[in-house]
Amino acid sequence: MKKVVLLLFVCLCTLSVALAQTQKVSGKVTEGENSPLPGVTVLVKGTSQGMTTSADGTFTMECAPTSTLVFSFIGYSSQEVPVNGRSSISVKMGADTKQLADVVVVGYGTQTKEEFTGSAARVKGDAVKDLPVQSFDQGLAGKATGVSIGQPNGVLNNPPVIRIRGVNSISLSSYPLVVVDGVPINTGNVAGSSTVANNPLGDINPADIESIDVLKDAASTSIYGSRAAAGVILITTKSGKAGKPKVTYEGWAGVTRAVRLPKMLNAEQFMMIKNEAVLNSKILSGNANNASVASELFFPMYNADGSLVDTDWYKEVYQTGFSQNHSLSVSGGSESTKYYFSTNYSKQRGILKTNEFSRKAVRFNVDHKLTSWLTLTANANYNNTLNASPNTGSLEGNAFGLVGSARLAWLSAPNVPVYNPDGSYNLSTANTLGMGNNQVSSNFYNPVPMLDLNKYTSENDHILGTFAADFHPVKGLNYRISYGVDRLKIENVTFQSGVHGPGYPSGNATNTSIAANNWDFTNTLTYNLTVASKHSIGLLAGYDRQKFDNAAWGATRSNSADIFFNDFQGSYGTIIPANNALNERALVSVFGRFTYDYDKKYFLTVNFRRDGNSALGAGKKYGNFGGVSGGWSLAEENFYRNSSLAQVMTGLKLRASWGKIGNANLTNWYGSLSLYNSGLYGSAATWAFSQGGNPDLGWETGKQTNVGADIGLFNDRIQLDLTYYRNNVDGLILNVPQSPSKGIPNNAMLMNVGSMYNRGFEVGVTANVLESGKFSWNTNFNYTFNKNQVTALYGEGTEIVGTTSATAETSNITRVGYSVGSLYGAKTDGVNPENGQRIFINREGQRVQYNHAVPSGQSRWTYLDGSAAPAISVSDYQLLGNALPKFYGGFNNTFRYGNFDLGVNFTYSGGNYVMNGSKGTWRDQRFWNNTTEVLDRWTTPGQKTDIPRVVYGDLLSNGSSFPISENVEKADYIRLQTASLGYRVPVQLFGAKSGISSVRVYTQVFNAFLITKYSGTDPDISSNGNSNLTPGVDKNSIPQGRTFTFGVNVGF
Amino acid sequence: MNIHTSTAKVVKASLACLVLTVGLGLTACDEKDIMNPVPQTSLQGTFLFDTPERVLGQVNGMYAGLKVGNFFGGRFPMLSDIRGEEFINRLQNVFTGYDAWNHTINSGSNDALTTWSSAYATINLTNLVIDGLAAHPNVVDAATTAQYVGEAKFVRALCYFSLISFYGQPYVKNQGASPGVPLRMKGEASPANNNLARSTVAQVYAQIIKDLDDAEAALPLKYSSDLLNTTRAHRNTAIALKTRVYLNMGQFDKVVTEAKKVVSDATPYKAATGVAHQLQADINTVFTSSYTTTESIFSMPMTELDNISGQSSLGYEYNLNQEYNLNATGILGNAQWRTGDSRRTMLRASGTTMYLMKYRKANPYLDYVPVIRYSEVLLNYAEALARQSTPDLAKATAVLTAVHQRSDSGYTFPAATTSSATALTNAIWVERRIELLGEGFRSNDLLRNMLPIPSKGTAPSITSSQPEYIFPIPNAEISSNKEL
Repeated sequence: MKKVVLLLFVCLCTLSVALAQTQKVSGKVTEGENSPLPGVTVLVKGTSQGMTTSADGTFTMECAPTSTLVFSFIGYSSQEVPVNGRSSISVKMGADTKQLADVVVVGYGTQTKEEFTGSAARVKGDAVKDLPVQSFDQGLAGKATGVSIGQPNGVLNNPPVIRIRGVNSISLSSYPLVVVDGVPINTGNVAGSSTVANNPLGDINPADIESIDVLKDAASTSIYGSRAAAGVILITTKSGKAGKPKVTYEGWAGVTRAVRLPKMLNAEQFMMIKNEAVLNSKILSGNANNASVASELFFPMYNADGSLVDTDWYKEVYQTGFSQNHSLSVSGGSESTKYYFSTNYSKQRGILKTNEFSRKAVRFNVDHKLTSWLTLTANANYNNTLNASPNTGSLEGNAFGLVGSARLAWLSAPNVPVYNPDGSYNLSTANTLGMGNNQVSSNFYNPVPMLDLNKYTSENDHILGTFAADFHPVKGLNYRISYGVDRLKIENVTFQSGVHGPGYPSGNATNTSIAANNWDFTNTLTYNLTVASKHSIGLLAGYDRQKFDNAAWGATRSNSADIFFNDFQGSYGTIIPANNALNERALVSVFGRFTYDYDKKYFLTVNFRRDGNSALGAGKKYGNFGGVSGGWSLAEENFYRNSSLAQVMTGLKLRASWGKIGNANLTNWYGSLSLYNSGLYGSAATWAFSQGGNPDLGWETGKQTNVGADIGLFNDRIQLDLTYYRNNVDGLILNVPQSPSKGIPNNAMLMNVGSMYNRGFEVGVTANVLESGKFSWNTNFNYTFNKNQVTALYGEGTEIVGTTSATAETSNITRVGYSVGSLYGAKTDGVNPENGQRIFINREGQRVQYNHAVPSGQSRWTYLDGSAAPAISVSDYQLLGNALPKFYGGFNNTFRYGNFDLGVNFTYSGGNYVMNGSKGTWRDQRFWNNTTEVLDRWTTPGQKTDIPRVVYGDLLSNGSSFPISENVEKADYIRLQTASLGYRVPVQLFGAKSGISSVRVYTQVFNAFLITKYSGTDPDISSNGNSNLTPGVDKNSIPQGRTFTFGVNVGF
Repeated sequence: MNIHTSTAKVVKASLACLVLTVGLGLTACDEKDIMNPVPQTSLQGTFLFDTPERVLGQVNGMYAGLKVGNFFGGRFPMLSDIRGEEFINRLQNVFTGYDAWNHTINSGSNDALTTWSSAYATINLTNLVIDGLAAHPNVVDAATTAQYVGEAKFVRALCYFSLISFYGQPYVKNQGASPGVPLRMKGEASPANNNLARSTVAQVYAQIIKDLDDAEAALPLKYSSDLLNTTRAHRNTAIALKTRVYLNMGQFDKVVTEAKKVVSDATPYKAATGVAHQLQADINTVFTSSYTTTESIFSMPMTELDNISGQSSLGYEYNLNQEYNLNATGILGNAQWRTGDSRRTMLRASGTTMYLMKYRKANPYLDYVPVIRYSEVLLNYAEALARQSTPDLAKATAVLTAVHQRSDSGYTFPAATTSSATALTNAIWVERRIELLGEGFRSNDLLRNMLPIPSKGTAPSITSSQPEYIFPIPNAEISSNKEL
């Protein structure tokens, strides 16, 4: 009230002065690339005379020629401009760097960058919003120091392999905790469908993200206690800003195509190679003169026009996928109420036929200051996401399936057609691909009818929301109560046609409904005060309770009444229950944080959390975690400022932290209990031992040390972030193998044994390299070196064997003294030039060669002198290389010239090896097709080649039946992850009436190219997904896609 | 103004307190509940002996252990058959037994591990039942307890017999002196006791016989229904299995002793006490229309809600997916198996290739898998009669003929085949190949007689001196059991 009176009074006074001598001044206020800025307050300094700019950013007012105009707008630095008698004044507003001073979002709050003494990386939402990805996490590759992102295949919405500072567990999830607007949410592949990938992070529209903060060291993550071992990713969604409503439209459309597919043999080459193999087999088995043994088994087929049947199975399985994405947002608000509303439609098609992702989403964020002491915030996100996919053979556990599209495209015979002349599918009587005139059978399906007739979808209805109230009864004190909900309803629909494939002969349909209900209730009390102007103290205390309830139910109907039915709801003869599950888990925690700084020079943060996790053993549910970190801003010290070093190194802050965090991200929420399951024996009810429980199951504990420096050079034009870290993990939860003769279910029990460490350093360089006239070049380079080593397992000489696809293939080994999940297999030593046989090296170090076809009674395995040798088996396997990258990072550049901008972002990774298991498939000498490399096979004595003599039926020599070192390859690569070229269209073109304030058009290529010596499709491929124990296996997976997009962003 | 402000402050303060209390109130009340969730679809071990029904459930659970896909549900009899010479692998797929067929199983092979694990998992179930009944004596009455223990011992014996015939050298090689398998006789539910040495083959056989003798004494004569008589062990089931075990041990006199308990002296041969086992008029009855006749002594029941499908299902392997066809040079062309023989109606021709369709119900696969059938007992009996210390060739011939003529009534065995013990034994072996084709007998029949496994297709022959003659103990056992 007083203020208003005062204002009025001042106003009247100045008016009288102004009347004395005034002039007219007009002008325009702009921001960024000259886009008009409406709603800017223009005030004559020292008076109350003023106005706001109009929609096109212009203003006109009367004032004294000697007066000074003050331009102000929330979020921008105020500017004072003397009129100096001018009649036209243009002002360009710049973002208020102080106000937006690099803030770091930490658990349950924020800190300024200067206060922050832990280790974190921040990625702005803008960096991911235009990428042709399904979920933001796929777009983080190379953008955050210390964060490694691998895209395990080209299947849409497949969760990437995220590792923050290495693998930090063996049996538990190494996927970081993802917190969206304060609520830890469900992550990973939630589909519960073995066919369709469904990453719930794909339910968040990347364009809604304001910032992504990655917390890396214990001092920052320990506030999340037991869940922080793999790091924490904090997502902050956009909220409104006071001022005129702002409307943005962001859209892109693009095409995706598979890249780096190997070249397969054509029909003619196929028959030549396979018949050579058949003849070799005949000769080698001593049947050269035996007329009853075939010399050829592969024969051509001809089309009606007389041409040779030569099927390119790639064309039948892969496609050029067209995608589009549209987002519209409206935001704005007054001082008391701010809002953000957005909607998104995305439809993306993958490189494989029938692989689709579509998302329809709405988000609403509102922030209302009800009174001076109470603020309410709410945000709600609802979306519907549909993931559709054929069986790709690329998801975890699918590498050896009979239905995997990638493998079928590789191995299907090219000399048989997809369709018979009458248009029907080319099928055998045994529900497999018809082999035409070839005198062999295939045990694989024809992929085309499966793509045409079968249906696999996983659909999410996902509500993410938080409601919070902030009470601030006295200055510095804030009490926040917040309730968050992450309710995910998934419906999986599977239909397998009776015509062909796994549904043969009568068809089946499975529907499963999964409800993943997660709520989080948080109370926090914060108090900030400054004592004697130099002592800043911050206190946080909180209580958090989170509950997860998962329920799934479903059924399979089979024996379709009629081929007409394609859905579960049709008519079938049989129904059996499927995919039923009921699980619950709770986390209850109290936590606190104390922060202190003296004169912005010395900083201290102490975190503590006591966590209870219901999944652990009865007496082991609660654990105490915490961390302490300190910082010293040298650059603020007088002695430093006066030193000559300060001329160059303008900023210098040292920081160190230590903390203890836990991990109990058990996928089995009842892992500590001994359980019996009920089932049926015919129709009689049963109870049988189903899980050996360990009542002493407790946390894994990580002790992390982090030491670093933030350095600014040349007035912070170059900023360096150097960090050394080490994380010692103890009490690893391992699924300790039990002697199978004990009969414990799954032959394993969860126990806290073993330890390992990750050590490394990170370098982040951000530089404003060049700024000259219209041209500028900004760059960010980041590098992480990480060393992982297992230091103890469950006893002397113990090791953990990892298998690809359930138990199908032993492919990895975790051994003390090596990194987790090293590659494992038989050691080979090329091809014997004398006879073209693959040479293996057995456990004694002896060379043993393999001949698939021998006369009856002779040994297939011989020493090089021809005497019989024992077969190579698992006991001869050796560790073949580390599968975890030793270094990785990104190199991101933005060039601007006038209205043009060019983004060039590289990612790189290396120091690890990949088992190119697909190579085993490509060179398998059964009835399978091969890559053209096989044309270099051994044929004549003395010939040096890496492809053994082809012998029909040989599944061993090339690593198809078990992994061999021949197929282990270096995984080092540099990828041009994205390249984009944008142009800001001058808005004047559209005229003021259009209301358009900014337009940017751009074109972009995603996964542009790969520089690598890896001969497989992509060294990032992981056939075992996010598994810790079996990384680095590329077996029968589809490759990545390359996407070209064209997009437009419009602001109103 | 001042008054207004202070009121506001009070309201603010009390509201904050209220919310705080609500927040903290939640802390105390139900934290214990939500921190100790009780699984709703599984039972914690402590509640297992709360009711007699749950004890019966565990008894059925042991049988269900036998019935898993990797064991008697399909894989185990399949592996036994395809190691022999009757089937040709068509698709070279290691997931459908190519390694076993081709004798390239090694200690890391899936089939070596899953067979071993399934058998031992079931053994542990039987031990847990035996231990649990002793620890909870009053849940079911003494008579029922005795019966359940008898059933457990029968199941345990069947598991050990399966293990020793796959992973141990044949008993007859050296009267069981070779190393056998670890004998686990206590229920295991903790991380302890990983180490246990192998017992000898003879020790394992002795335990099998002891369990079966105990079972014979404890098991009921019969149950209340044909279904139970076929799917749970009764006294004659134990006796029938003993004829198989003693035959493996080459103790023919004992086979005869046991067989006489369940085979009448006069035709038609049938069991005089207990379940009246007898051959059915038509073998097709047993495999198509009725799975619970008195011929089926012990079978794995299949229902729509509980059946074995996919790559361990016999119907999938032999019929639907045609993973194996019958070897043209195997038993298929034998003169003893004439074209009119009704057992040939269980074969199917596709072109010139023959497939076995003993298990023909597909999707769902509802054919019961036979474990012990009366015709096997008769053939065990006939062989023992021919090979015992004082052979009874006439009786042996009569029993053999009964089996054969059931399916080919016009056939009489030529005198040359019945005139000597050796010739007759050979004829009985041929008959076993015809009668029991696809029921999991072939490789054991070769091994128990130390015969070489003949070559077939591209797979080589294997003699009894070769390591491939038996399955290797799986790596998983070798690496965790340090006393092996």
